[in-house]
Amino acid sequence: MAEHTLDFKEQFEIPSGMKKWSLALIIIGILAFIIGLFTKGMGTNEEKAVFLGTLMYNTIFWTLVCNASMFFICATTLAMGGWQMTFRRVAEAISTLVPIFGIITLVILFYVIATGNHEIYHWLDSKQVAADEVLKGKSGFLNVKFFVIWSILAVGFWSLLGWRMRKISSQADAEPMDFNTGSAYLWKNTVTASLFIVWFALTIGSTLPWLWLMSLDAHWYSTMYSWYVFASSFVAGVALITLWVIYLKNKGYLEYTNQEHLHDLGKFIFAFSIFWTYLWFSQYMLIWYSNQPEETIYFKGRVQGPYKGIFFLNIIINFVCPLLILMKRSSKRNYTLMTFMAVLILFGHWIDFYQMVMPSVAKDHVTLSWFDFGILALFVGLMIHFVGRALASKPLIAKYNPFLKESIVHHT
Amino acid sequence: MHLKYESQLREPLVNGRKTYHDVTEEIIRPIEAKPGKLWYVGFYIAVALLLFGVYSVYRDVTYGIGQWNLNKTVGWGWDITNFVWWVGIGHAGTLISAILLLFRQGWRTGVNRAAEAMTIFAVMCAGQFPIFHMGRVWLAFFIMPYPNTRGPVWVNFNSPLLWDVFAISTYFTVSVLFWYSGLIPDMATVRDRAKTKLRKLLYGIAAFGWTGSTKHWQRIESLSLVLAGLATPLVLSVHTIVSTDFATSVIPGWHTTIFPPYFVAGAVFSGFAMTQSLLLVVRKVYHLEDYITIGHIEAMNKIIVLTGSIVGVAYLTELFMGWYSQSKYEGYTFWYSRANLFSPYGWSYWGMMTCNVLTPQIFWLRKARRNLFITFFISVLVNVGMWFERFVIIVTSIYRDYLPSSWSVYYSPTIWEIGFYLGTFGLFFTCFFLFSKYAPVIAVHEIKYVLKTTGESYKNEMGALEREPVEEFAHEYAH
Repeated sequence: MAEHTLDFKEQFEIPSGMKKWSLALIIIGILAFIIGLFTKGMGTNEEKAVFLGTLMYNTIFWTLVCNASMFFICATTLAMGGWQMTFRRVAEAISTLVPIFGIITLVILFYVIATGNHEIYHWLDSKQVAADEVLKGKSGFLNVKFFVIWSILAVGFWSLLGWRMRKISSQADAEPMDFNTGSAYLWKNTVTASLFIVWFALTIGSTLPWLWLMSLDAHWYSTMYSWYVFASSFVAGVALITLWVIYLKNKGYLEYTNQEHLHDLGKFIFAFSIFWTYLWFSQYMLIWYSNQPEETIYFKGRVQGPYKGIFFLNIIINFVCPLLILMKRSSKRNYTLMTFMAVLILFGHWIDFYQMVMPSVAKDHVTLSWFDFGILALFVGLMIHFVGRALASKPLIAKYNPFLKESIVHHT
Repeated sequence: MHLKYESQLREPLVNGRKTYHDVTEEIIRPIEAKPGKLWYVGFYIAVALLLFGVYSVYRDVTYGIGQWNLNKTVGWGWDITNFVWWVGIGHAGTLISAILLLFRQGWRTGVNRAAEAMTIFAVMCAGQFPIFHMGRVWLAFFIMPYPNTRGPVWVNFNSPLLWDVFAISTYFTVSVLFWYSGLIPDMATVRDRAKTKLRKLLYGIAAFGWTGSTKHWQRIESLSLVLAGLATPLVLSVHTIVSTDFATSVIPGWHTTIFPPYFVAGAVFSGFAMTQSLLLVVRKVYHLEDYITIGHIEAMNKIIVLTGSIVGVAYLTELFMGWYSQSKYEGYTFWYSRANLFSPYGWSYWGMMTCNVLTPQIFWLRKARRNLFITFFISVLVNVGMWFERFVIIVTSIYRDYLPSSWSVYYSPTIWEIGFYLGTFGLFFTCFFLFSKYAPVIAVHEIKYVLKTTGESYKNEMGALEREPVEEFAHEYAH
């Protein structure tokens, strides 16, 4: 054994079971995609819109959820957090998916744009826009050029800054740091993390959800919208980190990560589920209370129309369940229960993204079918495959990170 | 499992190689000594302001609020602006005690006591405005829902103004309990050191018979945890509900869904600015530089730049939606009444933008965060800016309503409106001066609790742990 090797399993090796599973999911997903393409994608305009809409909410959901990992890293870096160091590489591995899912998102969105699919984005129909004062007025923001450029920039900078954060992280594998090198290392992290956070605020915290999602209902607007999207993707992102941490723990890795860290991840899931609910409630209540038709139109189809069931399911999974189940200290320290909750929250916010997109695309009936789950399988398969590869590409712990020891003695 | 360790990269939270005894001595001493001249000067100014405020309010009650310059469309002016401003300031204390406790931010121990006291006084000031705005203040008890003989005169549960009553009174109650339960062990310390009988008696009463037994400590620990749990949602709820005072309406500039979280961020922002202004003075006057260190100030400045930027994103979001909505009324409010510098109140919008969004950005620089002069200057600017924010929201949305014939003349306050505001400053500072004279401004027992992890001398001893290879360290910890 080389001298620098630790006496615990710090190097992840992709187990054959995982390879098989991810491959199986990807194959199922591709089959679903192909069948969907021929049954829906070639059908009527409405069927086509459902086909594309389903791809859209899946890919946007997974891109934002994976990007939430990088947000988690940068936020904890700026807050000088120490507790997350024993499992930070897990979040890093998840964030490697941002460029991959980001490009898939761009391809799908640009396909929608290029084909001028106004079943999805009404503002793409130049005739309608010319006849509609409101849409005409918005065309300074809702136009193809801006959409394309801004989307590329968004994904590009998330990927670039994320790559830089991971690169800096690798430097902590090399040699011990003293006070000075440690401070310099911290400083380097801080600079990149600040840039990421600012870019994050300018994209996910504001403009991008308006562009990608809110403009599906081109007339409708809500100032809360982007923060709501952020909350939804962030809590799901923490659930994904938790799931991977538990998986690795189960396989005998991450020796220094223990119940204390799990407990804190549980608190994060609990707290941000409540935060999501807070934003959900604030947006819904204010629109309900003032009862103006141009605003209530968004919820009309969702609460009173065919999507009623999905609407309430969303709140039950994402609010009631974490509230009742994660309130207790013991449940946040229980690996089985936390696994269940992480899966539930991920599913719940996938449903949340579903209900952000599909009721605007297919107004008269719920579209949830084998196709949605097939595409979900594709993304889960890709996620498992690429996160596994990223985890195996470096040690699971940045051995010389100046805060690693704090994370080892961490207790809640 | 009892390895006390913290990275050397974190600066100590208690400077100057203190022992437990030093901590007690240095924090309690100002209570036992006669206050200095400056204290008296400040105290008398505060009392004078308070008296002027009392007189202004006396006139309000006697002659009615017609002596304010509120008019046909500007039905809320300085009064509600001041109310929201003070409530916002009253957010930092409970955020520090509850939310930062949950986030395990060690630096909160140096500043929580003073910030909590400030919170309570600020909420007291805030409450005055809506109460006296009622006009017939002797009927204020009507806001309490209870079985009565007034027939149809009954509170309106649909009104956010009533939600305010519940939210703020709950918040006030929990904040007082939280603050006071933390004070009990320190009051006992003062009692045990008392030289005179009267002092012993009074602090004895204040300490509720605290003996420092394990059982007492155990109980106070569980009590703080329960109160922290209760206080956390309250930090969010109060300003959320204050925001719904505006956002549930259909007034352009008020009705916007981002209001609740953006108000909360703004409240934390202004609360920290006020904490910063006060503590910079307190640490100097009472020589507490070792306890309220530059590190503490830097941490608070980070919160200021964070919340200031969140508020900034919210301002820009609103401005954007003012255009994006393509609603003429929204557009008029945001782009004419506010963002146009040459509109009647344009100055207040740009004052707000400058003080709240632009200037705090200087705190991205570490040097600025650690500079006392800049910190003080910016903290005052933020307080001014946050006052502007409420003024902008309230007045620019209502001075021109849908019907041009009812557009009001330029609203500016009378001396009695200003007097009421100054009076709340008097109340706030009178309370704060008394607090800083009679109670420890820093939580002595909490400082002692963190001393062995973050005290300077103890940190130096941890140097050996820092150099240990990680495997050895983990091994030692596990056994």
